[in-house]
Amino acid sequence: MEAVRVENLVKIYHGGIRAVDGVSFTINEEEIFGFLGPNGAGKSTTIKCIIGLVRPTAGRIWIFGVDVERDPGVVKRSIGYAAQETAVDDQLTGWENLYLQGRFHHLSPKEIRARGEEVLRLFGLWERRNDLAQTYSGGMLKRLDIACALIHRPRILFLDEPTLGLDVQTRKAIWDYIRKLRDEHKMTIFLTTHYMEEADELSDRVAIIDHGKILALDKPGALKAALGGDLITLKFASQDERLPALLSAIRALPGVRDLRSSPDGIHWIWVEQRGDQLIPELVQLALSYGIQVDSVRLKRPTLDDVYLHYTGREIREAEASREEHVRARILQRRVRR
Amino acid sequence: MIIMDVVYVAWRELLKFFRARVRLLVTVIQPLIWLGLMGNMMQGLTQNPFIERLLGTTSYLAFMTPGIILMTVLFGGVFSGLSIVWDRRIGYLEKLLAAPISRAAIPLGKMVASAIQGGFQGLLILLIALGLGVRFSTGLAGVLFALLVAMTFSLILSGFSLTLASRIKSQETLMALVNFFTMPLMFTSNALFPREAMPAWLSAIAQINLVTHAVTPIRQVLLFGWDWSSMWVSLVVIGGLALLMAFLAGQSFLRATAE
Repeated sequence: MEAVRVENLVKIYHGGIRAVDGVSFTINEEEIFGFLGPNGAGKSTTIKCIIGLVRPTAGRIWIFGVDVERDPGVVKRSIGYAAQETAVDDQLTGWENLYLQGRFHHLSPKEIRARGEEVLRLFGLWERRNDLAQTYSGGMLKRLDIACALIHRPRILFLDEPTLGLDVQTRKAIWDYIRKLRDEHKMTIFLTTHYMEEADELSDRVAIIDHGKILALDKPGALKAALGGDLITLKFASQDERLPALLSAIRALPGVRDLRSSPDGIHWIWVEQRGDQLIPELVQLALSYGIQVDSVRLKRPTLDDVYLHYTGREIREAEASREEHVRARILQRRVRR
Repeated sequence: MIIMDVVYVAWRELLKFFRARVRLLVTVIQPLIWLGLMGNMMQGLTQNPFIERLLGTTSYLAFMTPGIILMTVLFGGVFSGLSIVWDRRIGYLEKLLAAPISRAAIPLGKMVASAIQGGFQGLLILLIALGLGVRFSTGLAGVLFALLVAMTFSLILSGFSLTLASRIKSQETLMALVNFFTMPLMFTSNALFPREAMPAWLSAIAQINLVTHAVTPIRQVLLFGWDWSSMWVSLVVIGGLALLMAFLAGQSFLRATAE
């Protein structure tokens, strides 16, 4: 069954900013679906439209077959949402935060006690439940935030930048919890991130979004493969008159797509796959022409390359044009209301 | 269901209110200072037949007690909106909106919390006044009635504050704005001085001031006794304003969150 279906979603904020510009996709049940894009790309707005916090300008959304605009009450009961900001009240204890969240979802105290213990144990917070949240570390706060989103046993969990600003260990721990939710608790998970690594590590499928449009959507492996295989960078120890012959021999090897050379003697060889297995063969071949290999390097495409290929720039804030920067700022403010 | 939503929104605020020990202490000490210092200071000045006739009582302390209750409630209630600004900033508001809770319950719950805080503060001040020798003419029933009026007054102010807070998204602006209203409201009322002693223009303003309308019934009941004919207009005014503000706070919040 489809967990989420989004058709031609458009959101234009006051002032004419197109935050989301005709996005369509589906998420399958028990899938971890990643939304990858720079700041201001439209990730948060898309999530907020799906869970009914922001009214779409156009387009339709279904969650488990229920129309979000028609039946927001039903939809809200089947979704859990942890926003980008860790929305924990730090003057309350962990348990009080969870308890209130349960009451806001109209659970009975008995249900909250049973379910609350379960999620707090799952997230390793049970022992600290009676401490004020202001004594928690950043990672604990995020875990509590996600635990709160799970109190009413949602079928699908929306995580907006779940590991933003966390250190590497904490981030890995959060990843483990997310995987556990899917593997052991059969949950569907929609997460947005601008960490390539996170999308790659967690997601079954990734959509790359920028300027409110989906630029690519596939399994992380397929996205990488589509960029065109491995790249071998080769440098020879000597310049020889037999070099041109060697290069054409390399070109003729099976699996080699392209070969380019720079004037200072660096050669780039694109191969379809298994670049690591081709390296010994290349060295052998060079030796048979009497040419020594000085250095060799293999680079496999990462999701970074895919991302850069589609968005054409690195982190927006770093080198954004002023216009884009302003747009991103306005968007973030709009989204936060 | 909306009632339970209101209850739990209010419960959260109250949990935090009673947990903030320092703030609680201040809410006790502040009226103690007002009553203990100003009340006694004015005592000498007010002990002459002319002023006693204006006050309607021989004890300025007793006269100002209702005023101090309402002043405390005024300064507390008017900051109720800050909690919504804060909730918005930390993302808690969004979490509430994503839950199947009734949206109107959010401002209403905060108003109810503010009223309960106001009632609690009013009770503390009455106890302090009692300790300083003020006696209430109508006993426990009068005390309960006075607290009820104070709570209704608190609903008006928190409703006003929340109405503004739905639109104003910065704490600093909101604080500046409500402070702009509170001082003039206080000093153009009969909270600390009898209207009879005011110049005519000020007395006219005081007559329509909502603080006056809240002070009058409390003072009537605590100092003189039950006299509905002198109280009913004020009771209708503050009751009506409380309902109006609840409506406005709800409307303003719903409009601000409908995107």
